[in-house]
Amino acid sequence: MSKVTTELDFFGLEKKQTNNAPNKPKFKKLLDRRRSFREIQGAISKMDPEIIKSLLATGANPSETSTRSLSVPSTPKEDHQRILISPVHAPLTRPSTELVSGTVPMTIFYNGTVSVFQVSPNKAEDIMKVAMETSPKKDKSMEKHLSVIPPTTLRTKLFGQNIDGDLPIARRKSLQRFLEKRKER
Amino acid sequence: PKLLLSTLLIPSSTHTHATSSSSPHAPPIVIPILDFDLLSVCLMTMEDPDIKKCRLSSVTVDDVIEQVMPYITDPKDRDSASLVCRRWFEIDSETREHVTMALCYTSTPDRLSRRFPNLRSIKLKGKPRAAMFNLIPENWGGFVTPWVNEVASSLPRLKSVHFRRMIVSDLDLDVLAKARLDELEALKLDKCSGFSTDGLFSIVKHCRKMKTLLMEESSFVEKDGNWLHELALHNTSLEVLNFYMTEFAKINAKDLESIARNCRSLVSVKIGDFEMLELVGFFKAATNLEEFCGGSFNEEIGRPEKYMNLTFPPKLCCLGLSYMGPNEMPILFPFAAQIRKLDLIYALLATEDHCTLIQKCPNLEVLETRNVIGDRGLEVLGQCCKKLKRLRIERGEDEQGMEDEEGLVSQRGLVALAQGCQELEYMAVYVSDITNESLESIGTYLKNLCDFRLVLLDQEERITDLPLDNGVRSLLIGCKKLRRFAFYLRQGGLTDVGLSYIGQYSPNVRWMLLGYVGESDEGLMEFSRGCPKLQKLEMRGCCFSERAIAAAVLKIPSLRYLWVQGYRASTTGQDLRLMSRPYWNIELIPARKVPEVNQLGEVREMEHPAHILAYYSLAGERTDCPPTVKVLREA
Repeated sequence: MSKVTTELDFFGLEKKQTNNAPNKPKFKKLLDRRRSFREIQGAISKMDPEIIKSLLATGANPSETSTRSLSVPSTPKEDHQRILISPVHAPLTRPSTELVSGTVPMTIFYNGTVSVFQVSPNKAEDIMKVAMETSPKKDKSMEKHLSVIPPTTLRTKLFGQNIDGDLPIARRKSLQRFLEKRKER
Repeated sequence: PKLLLSTLLIPSSTHTHATSSSSPHAPPIVIPILDFDLLSVCLMTMEDPDIKKCRLSSVTVDDVIEQVMPYITDPKDRDSASLVCRRWFEIDSETREHVTMALCYTSTPDRLSRRFPNLRSIKLKGKPRAAMFNLIPENWGGFVTPWVNEVASSLPRLKSVHFRRMIVSDLDLDVLAKARLDELEALKLDKCSGFSTDGLFSIVKHCRKMKTLLMEESSFVEKDGNWLHELALHNTSLEVLNFYMTEFAKINAKDLESIARNCRSLVSVKIGDFEMLELVGFFKAATNLEEFCGGSFNEEIGRPEKYMNLTFPPKLCCLGLSYMGPNEMPILFPFAAQIRKLDLIYALLATEDHCTLIQKCPNLEVLETRNVIGDRGLEVLGQCCKKLKRLRIERGEDEQGMEDEEGLVSQRGLVALAQGCQELEYMAVYVSDITNESLESIGTYLKNLCDFRLVLLDQEERITDLPLDNGVRSLLIGCKKLRRFAFYLRQGGLTDVGLSYIGQYSPNVRWMLLGYVGESDEGLMEFSRGCPKLQKLEMRGCCFSERAIAAAVLKIPSLRYLWVQGYRASTTGQDLRLMSRPYWNIELIPARKVPEVNQLGEVREMEHPAHILAYYSLAGERTDCPPTVKVLREA
């Protein structure tokens, strides 16, 4: 399997980041190994169930082998955050999944934490498509406002609950029930 | 001094203060000013031997205070009075009529009954406020059993019971019912759980002079509708019936109608979902009804006017019709001018509909709705509802397409509101955008504000104007009467300096909820140097360390209750012990994974970060904790 690492400039910051890009996968590998297994587990459990479901429910498709990665600075202090996805070897231990041949380990770096998944290249593409969909719609606006806060829509779509101890704003029980009932009507 | 004395003792033919039927003495004296300082001056004067020799000399200080004490109802004043001397303590104990315990674990049932044996009314709260947001384990605690048993054995004059966020069993209700019988006039099971309709039946069967029966937002097992039928058969005293936001399905409309017919004093009825057309008989019978909430509208294609003939009782002025849409809204128009309270939280109105309706309600004093009211709705409110005192704007649906596109509140609406509704005393709002200027406007115009709560929603990526340091300072300085304050933002919403402002400029605030404020422990330390009257502090999404939280607690002199979720835990988990002290209970709800059903109907494990709960207590450590609650025992 050939592994191709491509970088997509998610936030239109490529000009600034290109120099660092080739070095990143190595550095990120190092970071990844240091992370405890439990953190990864924790991170996985926070993934949006929809994403996990679509990724892992179906079997792997061994035909395509390329993966693409998006380069992202992963330190929380920086104003712009993106997602770094790179190939790294790490087993997935969720009981409901198997290490299917033809799947590629996919590492997602976000907001200073790391998650690793064993996915087929097709599914990996799906994830990255989703990630790109939830990016800000107009690239032009991104170029102007480089100090943008990481989009919450992205956060919630991919991760359901925020990683790093962020708590979603809790909703009142009574209101929650009403909104659910309203949907059913 | 002589003049003051005569004012105190000479009977007045005009009673300026109405005496309640529960007052122990028919008062021969009237106190024009219930001012404690005045009272102490009067009584000091009485010590003067010359005055004692006058014709009123047979009256002693004790007689005076016995007459006066029942008129002192403010618990803080009573607290001060009880500290004067032993006699005053005794008189306060004997005559105290009501006690509210903000947390039932702060004392014990026998202490309560020993100190206040003649209580008429109690209000107990159990679970932390966060329970209303699904953050607290269901079995956390707050069991009413020991309290009900104490009522049965040692509080023979109790007429009114209010349990809030507590766990109540059928047995508890049965014990209470049989102990108090017809003397029980009011029972409020407010956001409680653990009982069934059997328990309600027992209450209704034994307590036939019930005036207030409330089960709002409680969860229980519904076996049948017999309890309501029993009420319909035998009760003629009911004034308030409330089972709003409950899931009763076996209610009979005929029973409601009977109750309305039999109870001539019925003024407030709040029910769950119930087809409005089935309530026609009820509305006809409830001729003195002033408040109604609940019901349900079910639009039918082909019969758009089916609700148009609904008539409401003539005095109805407080209203909240569930699932009311723009097509049904016109049924309110005939009496919109007399509406004082409007609950639109569970209505199906868009921004435009809000504008239309609000324009017709110039006498509106209380409005509750979702943020679908939008900035435009707030502008209309500011223009039309000058008498508005309370406003609550809840968070609507996040999902796109479910709510009106206009249905967001921002600085634009807040400024219009502040300028227009200057009588506001309570304001709670979920905003999507905010500026310092809008907070300044609030500080400038809303001089009567006692309770202010702001939550910044997390949908929008960019907020126009952060941090809110200067705005919050202006608000706190301007709103001098503020006693309750909630500020829930996001990272970057308030710097450490801004947090220090909150501490510095909140001289009268008793309760605070702070979410995602500050940048570091420094901010918290500065904050804790202020808040001179802060009694209850809730924090969520903090960047503060365990150590800083413990240190801050020790610096806030009046703090008696702390709740925190989301903080930087220490590696040992023992830093909290820095705040260990006598009578200070420290509890943890360690981080948990809770299986929850998501929107797809799948069961997923959701992470719930750890909670800290700490409070002063005379009862010692809890002994009834569930496995999810850990008491931090004395080392």
